[in-house]
Amino acid sequence: MSRAAQSAPDAPPAHPGALAAALRSTPVGMAVIVVALIVLFGVLSPNGAFFRVSNLSTITLNVSVTMLLAVGITYVLAAGELDLSIGSNVVLSAVIAAEVLVSLSGTPEQVRAGEYPNLALGVVAGTIAAILAGTLFGLVNGLLVTRLRINSFIVTLGTMGIGTGLAYVASNGVNVPNVPRSLQTGFGIEKLFGVIPYPMMVVLIISAVLWYMLRRTRFGLYTLAIGSSRDAAERAGIRSRRHILVLFVMMGALAGAAAMLDLTRFATTNIGGHQTTALAAIAAVVIGGTSLFGGRATIAGSMVASLIPVILGTGLVILGVPSFYQLIVVGAILIAAVFIDQRRRERLSS
Amino acid sequence: MGQRVRSEQGKPSSPRSDYVIEATDIVKRFGHVQALSGASLQVRPGEVLALVGDNGAGKSTLTKIICGALTPDSGRLAFWGETTTVTSIRHAQELGVETVYQDLALAPDLSVAENMFLGREPLTRGIFAGWPPSLDRKKMRQAARQAIAAAGISTLNSVDRAVRDLSGGQRQAIAVARAVMWATTAILMDEPTAALGTKQTDIVYESIRSAAARGLAVVVISHDIPKMLSLADRIAVMRQGRTVSNLPARDLTLTDVVTLMLGGHARGEAA
Ligand SMILES: Nc1ncnc2c1ncn2[C@@H]1O[C@H](COP(=O)(O)OP(=O)(O)OP(=O)(O)O)[C@@H](O)[C@H]1O
Ligand SMILES: [Mg+2]
Repeated sequence: MSRAAQSAPDAPPAHPGALAAALRSTPVGMAVIVVALIVLFGVLSPNGAFFRVSNLSTITLNVSVTMLLAVGITYVLAAGELDLSIGSNVVLSAVIAAEVLVSLSGTPEQVRAGEYPNLALGVVAGTIAAILAGTLFGLVNGLLVTRLRINSFIVTLGTMGIGTGLAYVASNGVNVPNVPRSLQTGFGIEKLFGVIPYPMMVVLIISAVLWYMLRRTRFGLYTLAIGSSRDAAERAGIRSRRHILVLFVMMGALAGAAAMLDLTRFATTNIGGHQTTALAAIAAVVIGGTSLFGGRATIAGSMVASLIPVILGTGLVILGVPSFYQLIVVGAILIAAVFIDQRRRERLSS
Repeated sequence: MGQRVRSEQGKPSSPRSDYVIEATDIVKRFGHVQALSGASLQVRPGEVLALVGDNGAGKSTLTKIICGALTPDSGRLAFWGETTTVTSIRHAQELGVETVYQDLALAPDLSVAENMFLGREPLTRGIFAGWPPSLDRKKMRQAARQAIAAAGISTLNSVDRAVRDLSGGQRQAIAVARAVMWATTAILMDEPTAALGTKQTDIVYESIRSAAARGLAVVVISHDIPKMLSLADRIAVMRQGRTVSNLPARDLTLTDVVTLMLGGHARGEAA
């Protein structure tokens, strides 16, 4: 992916090579693959079931949490760091949010009877709890990485286990009971104009802000600079450790937000889930054109590429192929993407 | 960003000394390695000082201390006669001191323009009462283009190219152009021509002379002693962590300098 294509919005007026460059850029290439997959499954599926609006909006719904995490982790990878703990952060934050939400929405008797007299209070407090819990999780990661100077791969491998363990401790190993179903019907599966699910709207808005930050602000440029050469960034007066701490905190806050979206989507805490969420998000980001080694990143690429595993999954299910094949495919794609990224990097620096 | 405005920025209205930079008895050790054991250096505005010495003599370490990249174990550092503890690279930059590092310190994935402004990007006001402030890429490109043209780097067709894609010589030229663009007091150059061809080397030497003509103090580390004898106003020789002499270039010959580097005394220097 060329730099010129990456900074397309600010690039000088289009020249003959602009179209070719756009086609070579990863986000556009990914979009082509996504459309090809949709057409492929559409044609293969019985009666074109895959093409139905209901199916396509289910895909959008299923992708929203992964997309949010992918967009967030794009920053972490851009700075040359890694966060494997995001899935377990989502689970822990969802458990904490659900407990706060349920206990503030009504008395235990009311809640057990399915009545939520203080639902609004519960939802607001639950959302705040989710984001705070996620942020705190990210802060711990960030402090371990920047103060103790432990490699972020190891730190977040550790906190991944710790987070899952804490989620089981906090919930006694079972999903928090009595989460109001109205979370789901009122928001989680509700659609704007009957097409775009509300959670997806939230994800798109957050992604737009993060896209702007990466492309247009000092914060974004410093993130890339640190990932490209930490020495060069430091000598330009950028405080890289503080910046990396902020990135982990930001990632944590986004995982907290993802936890709340997940809670509204399923009206349950999903404590056994999200084991492969970090893998899927990182895979999407690398497939999308962000370098695993830092310095190069594209939010648009991450967004488009996060559709791929979900489309594959849904398509395979519609074709009657067991869904666990999706795991195999995603794992294989991740390895392939990293290999391509490595090759690209070697070629560029030779 | 007019150059005239900048060229006075780092200088106090009534300097207390003829010297822009004065380093006295600087000591620095890395674990068991005594990199500097009482190194001193003085340089005046408008003067080119060549810092020469064998590999490992401590030249890079001394410049890193002056530019805030390292803190000395002991010794005194003064700018315009004002004793100053340089706390960070940013601090040295605020004093008007710019550095070209031996390893260049460019971020390979960023563009030429981004590298030239890294840490000091111009901003435009956002639409909501000035928020969010965003990078003024247009200004960055324009100024970068000017600085590169002024540095005579004619082979570089676009400031949007990633530094990774440039040749070693182009990278070095960019690092030099960046320092020249921002310096208001002094430029420290650690082997600025190491990767350059003859033509690029001449261009760098020319930009050194013109920076000095603008009133900047320029410290150049180089192993090209014959060239330094003709380019520099003074030659400071380092040996084993110490500056063993600091003499006008016109009074020295190649043999003198080499003798000093290797441990002898120059003709005319008191034994
Ligand atoms: N970060 C460091 N850690 C340990 N030792 C160091 C470090 N930096 C420099 N040294 C040591 O300090 C001494 C002086 O090194 P310095 O780089 O200042 O020499 P130099 O004069 O610039 O040499 P050259 O001409 O090879 O660039 C050397 O012995 C070197 O090995
Ligand atoms: Mg050196």
